[in-house]
Amino acid sequence: MKSLLQRCSMRGLLVVVFAAAAGCVAGGGYDGGVEVGYGVDYYEPFGYEYGGWGPGYGVGPPRRGFDRGRGDGHGAPHPAYRPAAPSRSMPSLPTRSRGR
Amino acid sequence: MTSPHRDHSAWPARRSLGVLCGVAMLAAAGAAAAAALTFVLPPLVQPASTEHHPGKVIWADLVTSDIAGAKQFYGKLFGWTFNDVHAGNSDYSVALLDGSPVGGLFQRTMRPGEQRQPAWLTFISVRDVAAARRNILAHGGKALAPTRSYPDRGRQAVFADPQGAVFAVLQSSSGDPQDVLAAPGEWIWSSVLTRDPDTDAAFYQNVFGYEVFELPSNDGSKHVLLATDDYARASLNALPADAAKRHPHWLNFVRVDSATDTAARAEALGGHVLVKPFTDRHGGLIAVVADPAGAPFGLMEWTDTDSKQGAK
Repeated sequence: MKSLLQRCSMRGLLVVVFAAAAGCVAGGGYDGGVEVGYGVDYYEPFGYEYGGWGPGYGVGPPRRGFDRGRGDGHGAPHPAYRPAAPSRSMPSLPTRSRGR
Repeated sequence: MTSPHRDHSAWPARRSLGVLCGVAMLAAAGAAAAAALTFVLPPLVQPASTEHHPGKVIWADLVTSDIAGAKQFYGKLFGWTFNDVHAGNSDYSVALLDGSPVGGLFQRTMRPGEQRQPAWLTFISVRDVAAARRNILAHGGKALAPTRSYPDRGRQAVFADPQGAVFAVLQSSSGDPQDVLAAPGEWIWSSVLTRDPDTDAAFYQNVFGYEVFELPSNDGSKHVLLATDDYARASLNALPADAAKRHPHWLNFVRVDSATDTAARAEALGGHVLVKPFTDRHGGLIAVVADPAGAPFGLMEWTDTDSKQGAK
């Protein structure tokens, strides 16, 4: 009887050991595990230049009410993407402020 | 009378029991240590919401070799304050504006002889990182890191688009920030500078479901606008003509009251002006600067007059 109890205790302990070990692994794992460090460590390639934009190089958003006709039709006739429907007006930035 | 044989057999069992107890305690201690080292990032939105805006740029992380210098620079330039997060070998700091998180700074020490370009990494909202990953890979993108989970932040992964521009996706567990006009000192806009805007626009449209609008340009190069929820989210721009010297990349812009003054201040703080302030299509000034470690970012003016036009 005592031996049976000991065997049961040892099995229980083994379960605890494996569970704890699994917890350690999950603590540092990917995809479902919880991170112990930060995985974002991607530098851009070195040796390239930034900027160098010439006059007329626009990157910002247009204002609301921007005339779409001034843009469409100046690029490839059949672009790889699906252009927004002609009825859609040109979007801009949100107008509502957070008010903090 | 108890059997001597039974007593003898109990000793090894007791010893095993003791060893197992020790191992269990060590394992439990290891698990506790791992829990203590868990990288805890603040939620994007507090209190949490169910609002999601797939395709919206919702976060940016600076990967830099000099986090202390970066804190000095951005703190003085935009008034950001910082909350440090240390776990394991990682040094990370959450940048705050008026107590709200605006971005993160991550120290990534370079190995001797290593030359890499510090940069801001752009995070785009997705509902499901696993689905986004499948979609990105199916359309020619490349996975740069496995999906990672952070308790309050959510799940995120890093990719490169077919042209090589690096970006991340984030499935925020606290919801996405509201669609409101950025305040000065907050990120307001993002652009992808790429060799082939047409193909890249198709990639981002397929992955994030953007509406794509063609934008006029006076320099003859292709510019398109990516939109979701009837809001402009980012632009895709052809790299300048000398594209061989340039690498496709995402570029994020901070809203400022004066691009001219902020660019001058950035220079005085040890940064560099990459594109001098010029008037963009919305009528405000835009400039591109680099922090002292070389990470480029944009400055953009957006006046109330701009935002009130045709208010929704």
